[in-house]
Amino acid sequence: MQRYILSRLVQSAGILIGVLLIVFFMLQMTGDPVSLMVSRNASPEQVEALREELGYNRPVMVQFFDFFTDALTGDFGMSLRHRQPSLKLILDRLPATVELAATALMFALVIGVPLGLLGGSNPNSFWDIMARGAGLIGQTIPNFWLALILIVILSVHLGWFPTFGRNTWSLFGLTLPTRSVVLPAFALGLFTTGQIVRFVRSAVLEIKNEDYVRTAYSKGLSDRNIYMRHILRNASIPLISIIGVQFGYLMSGSIYIETIFSWPGLGNLLAEAIGNRDFALVQAIAFFTSLVVVALNLLTDVAYGLADPRIRYGD
Amino acid sequence: MEKSGVKCLFTIVLLLSAMVWTAGAGPQGTLRVATTTMPNAIDLPMGSERNAHNVAWQIYNSLVWIQDDGKVGPSLADSWTVSEDGTTYTFKLRKDVKFHNGEPFNADAVVYTWNRGKQDSMQWKEKFAVAKSVEKIDDYTVRVTTEGPSPLLLRIMAEFWAIIPPKHHQKVGENGFLNHPIGTGPFVFKEWKKGDRIIFEANPNYWEEGYPKVKTLVFRPIPESSTRLAAISAGEIDIVTRLSSEEAKSLKNRKNVKLISYTVDRVYYITFNNLTSGKGKPTENALVRQAMNYAVDVDAVIDALFDGYGRPATGYVTPGNWGYDEEIQPFGYDPEKAKKLLAEAGYPDGFEMDFACPSGAYNNFEQVCEAVQGYLGAVGVKTNLNLMESGKYWDLEAKKQLPPLFGDSWSEATGEALPRLKGALGGKNANFSAWSDPEIDRLLEEIGKTVDDDARAKLYVELQRYMQKNPPFIYLYEPVAFEGINPGVKDYRPRPAENYYLKYTSIDS
Repeated sequence: MQRYILSRLVQSAGILIGVLLIVFFMLQMTGDPVSLMVSRNASPEQVEALREELGYNRPVMVQFFDFFTDALTGDFGMSLRHRQPSLKLILDRLPATVELAATALMFALVIGVPLGLLGGSNPNSFWDIMARGAGLIGQTIPNFWLALILIVILSVHLGWFPTFGRNTWSLFGLTLPTRSVVLPAFALGLFTTGQIVRFVRSAVLEIKNEDYVRTAYSKGLSDRNIYMRHILRNASIPLISIIGVQFGYLMSGSIYIETIFSWPGLGNLLAEAIGNRDFALVQAIAFFTSLVVVALNLLTDVAYGLADPRIRYGD
Repeated sequence: MEKSGVKCLFTIVLLLSAMVWTAGAGPQGTLRVATTTMPNAIDLPMGSERNAHNVAWQIYNSLVWIQDDGKVGPSLADSWTVSEDGTTYTFKLRKDVKFHNGEPFNADAVVYTWNRGKQDSMQWKEKFAVAKSVEKIDDYTVRVTTEGPSPLLLRIMAEFWAIIPPKHHQKVGENGFLNHPIGTGPFVFKEWKKGDRIIFEANPNYWEEGYPKVKTLVFRPIPESSTRLAAISAGEIDIVTRLSSEEAKSLKNRKNVKLISYTVDRVYYITFNNLTSGKGKPTENALVRQAMNYAVDVDAVIDALFDGYGRPATGYVTPGNWGYDEEIQPFGYDPEKAKKLLAEAGYPDGFEMDFACPSGAYNNFEQVCEAVQGYLGAVGVKTNLNLMESGKYWDLEAKKQLPPLFGDSWSEATGEALPRLKGALGGKNANFSAWSDPEIDRLLEEIGKTVDDDARAKLYVELQRYMQKNPPFIYLYEPVAFEGINPGVKDYRPRPAENYYLKYTSIDS
């Protein structure tokens, strides 16, 4: 187990180095941000001076080496636009994104698992049609489009939810979400909901024809007992890996949703940073989200062993 | 029925008496304003664009400000005198002003603000460097000198020189000031949740009697325009800006939203190049450039892409700018004349040229460029249009590496076209310029040192007429801004550069 985790850690580090390389050189290919940082009336000398001050006139490899060694120590440089350390800006925005991604995942699970279970256990029933429909719609409707429709109907016409922004309330020093998270989380979690419904449904269909399920029935166990202890438990192992991957996707895939709902999270910050060619900040966010995805994958693999004692690693 | 009528009457009486009771009780209510970006700093020399500046001006003052009638008026300076050669300005400062933290406003603060603003690390340092020196004569007298006569000095001061408290700034440093800005303005900084909201409170000791009118001012960034539309429709925000004409149309029948529109001081244009990529090309001939202006049907573009909202540009000086030539007419659409001029210039069969436009930067501008391409093609000028991501585009524009024909737009907040003219026509000395013409250079230099307003206006007129015979651009249009406000908002007065001062704005609750 330890050796397995160690080798996975080495692998993860390799991936992160690759991410740093790609992000850095892709940004370099778009030119440098200096001309966007000065006013339009600035003189060429002023631009050159700033370029020198920020080091964009140095050879690319030198710039990369500096960026890379700084990144290893956790220093992603100052955001060019905000003139603050990039990492601090990320950490400021992180709670909003975590709130959104976690709520989205919760929606996906609360809707997806029961619907998949109902659909899979009664093929071609009403619930199955609902499950298949939800799976199809969830995976085909573009979430930014749904977001706008939700805003128009539920916020503007019915006034049930705020149209934009994040409101929170405090209890014993804890920051807690309000209903402002509902619409963005629902829109963001839509795709994941579709995936989970489809996955659970087909897993249940498959598992319920297994020998051990028949045995359980012949023992006279109740339906409820069989579904909870035999079917769902066995379906949950691949479900864990889906949840792990999807949470990473939700954390990093919220650029559109955060922009549409003006949600003060990482996706919004990234969209703005790209628009302003805030190189340091773009690099930092790209690295940070990759880190989250890689870490979640690692955790998922480890969690396998806990969910299914038969799974052993390496040795 | 009767009962509810009585109830209703009772409510009205109650409301009325409440209104009478609260009248004159100082600032009232909360005004919620949407910004279209997230301000990077509530600080003039550091604020990267219009939204940041709009937010910032609510908590600061400069020595002078631009009044609603477009003239420069007194603010923290009571009065000022200009030396005969136009290079020395002496300001008498108000004596009754304190910063929000209680620090007194005086000449030291002015000198300190200038010294800080002109540092290399400041984004708008050249707006401070226009002054050669800023000296304290006594506690309430300041002398500002410039290299040569500088007719725009006061306007630049009004737009950028937000006076900051020296002691506080020294104590907390740049970073501390970023997180807690302090000025002398009508509102006081209270809270900034990054990316979420900025909250200001009315300054109870504001030096202008009777202002501000609202108690709390909240700015919320909403980058997506359809969300701004939803937010104003749902009544969650009181002022939204930068709506498209289609979005504005959809608001027309809503009772809870009042629509505002005005022409923006911004010119859209396709520029020619005679500095780098356009050297030796047919467009160096003025007849060809005139022909290309006649070839484009700007009215049709405005009708088709902006629902008819927009004004065909008559040049690079807009009607709101000082020295606008009232007699000047747009080129108009005349493809026959365009062909004739091309033939006269020696290109009866037209020619081919590369053409670039930024994408994702301006409302419908990609389509505008495609239309221009079509119109030019119709008179024989074949263009290869390249739409580029705007960040990359502006980088290339500043390095003068764009094709010989490219599109862009330029706004101006000072009320005079000079910075825009110098920026786009300054030749090699200007970053975003692709054009140089000795006659234009001469006129710009004259304008830049003529302090007398009427004489300067005459020079502007001369320049506009020259620039129509020798157009450095295909003049396109000045856009119309659409904004939606809560009907309870009174005295919101947006200006042509899409800027505003909210001290006199009030809101009925």
